[in-house]
Amino acid sequence: MDIRAVILIGCGLFLAFVLEHLPMPDILLWLQPSWVLLAVTLMVLSAPATFGLWLALPLGLLLDVEHHSLLGTHILTLVVHIGLLQLLYRRMVMFNFLQQTGVVFVLVMVQQLLIYWGVALVSENVAPVTLWGPALTSALVWPWAYALTHFVMSRLHLS
Amino acid sequence: MLALALMWLDSHFPWLQPARYFTGYVLTPSQQVAAVPGVVAEWFSESSSQRQELLTENKQLSARNLVLELRAQRMAALEAENIELRELLSASEQIDDRVLVTSVIAVDPDPFSQQILINKGGEDGVFIGQPVLDAYGLLGQVIDVMPYSARVLMIADSNHAIPVQVNRNGVRAIAVGTGSLDELELIYVPNTADIVAGDLLVSSGLGGRYPRGYPVATVTRVDNIPGKSFAVVTAEPSAHLDRSRHLLLVFRQGAATVPPADIWKGQ
Repeated sequence: MDIRAVILIGCGLFLAFVLEHLPMPDILLWLQPSWVLLAVTLMVLSAPATFGLWLALPLGLLLDVEHHSLLGTHILTLVVHIGLLQLLYRRMVMFNFLQQTGVVFVLVMVQQLLIYWGVALVSENVAPVTLWGPALTSALVWPWAYALTHFVMSRLHLS
Repeated sequence: MLALALMWLDSHFPWLQPARYFTGYVLTPSQQVAAVPGVVAEWFSESSSQRQELLTENKQLSARNLVLELRAQRMAALEAENIELRELLSASEQIDDRVLVTSVIAVDPDPFSQQILINKGGEDGVFIGQPVLDAYGLLGQVIDVMPYSARVLMIADSNHAIPVQVNRNGVRAIAVGTGSLDELELIYVPNTADIVAGDLLVSSGLGGRYPRGYPVATVTRVDNIPGKSFAVVTAEPSAHLDRSRHLLLVFRQGAATVPPADIWKGQ
């Protein structure tokens, strides 16, 4: 893989984790987008052959520590997320922005639901999750993130 | 399956704690960068303060310092008297708690949990179960330690409970979080218990998790419902849970380990 692509991916993931951690005003807490999930989506759509299910292990572990969730929760959700993306990516790249936004909305909803179900399955301490808030904001952020990534990739002459 | 097995292990056993701790090293740079806007905003707010504001604040702090100095002088006499009385009772001497100052670097974005992240971690000796205070009272306890940061569960979290007693008469109760930052609820308080609005609740030290005698909350309402065994008592936390930026981590003598959950068994 091109060294510029590696740097771009590294910077993108770092930025996603910074934004995931960014302190927000109380009123906006419900609407924190799932930045890392968006970054993973961009990575899988850009290079589906390189970024497979293996990506779920390191990033899921980091997300579990970041959110203080049970270790494995985000690994599970990322495995499902990447699995669905691998099935959908051919259609996704053909979709227009509006359709892509809809798919991202559903994918983030699925992730939130899996977190809830996963924790309910193995632990009695189940906290409710905000289903639609992060899904909505992630979907709204998606077109911009997608366009920005493609702009940077074209400037760096990365396919 | 691996993910579900990990989740089950993590929810039932503490074996994965080292993995969590060392993963914290990887996350530290992004957490530090995420804290930059807050630090810059604070710096701007401090540097843009008007001279008059600073002078007024200085006067207020000087006056407050004077009052506190006066109290400290009285404290010295009271402490000496206390030690003397304890010696008379053959009780163990209470040693002052050692503290470490820390700052809040992030608030948990999950609106259902009242947790914050502080900028001191395992490298500074922070441990799980460590009590955290602000200038006004008990704020919570450390629930997760990373190398350079730690997660604090605040007393207002709905999963949190703390044994307290009324400062006025020593009546014991348990204050549980409601999920709202300005309200705690006292559970299992009999209708006949001598608790009135305005009573100060302090930590009772029972359970061995929190030190004794720190302010926890002030009772705001007591409702005695006829036909019910227990009164509905609500209290407002003394600590400024939503405003405090600088906090204190308390290191107590013999508090380096968390007492097991079944400590009461076999006694």
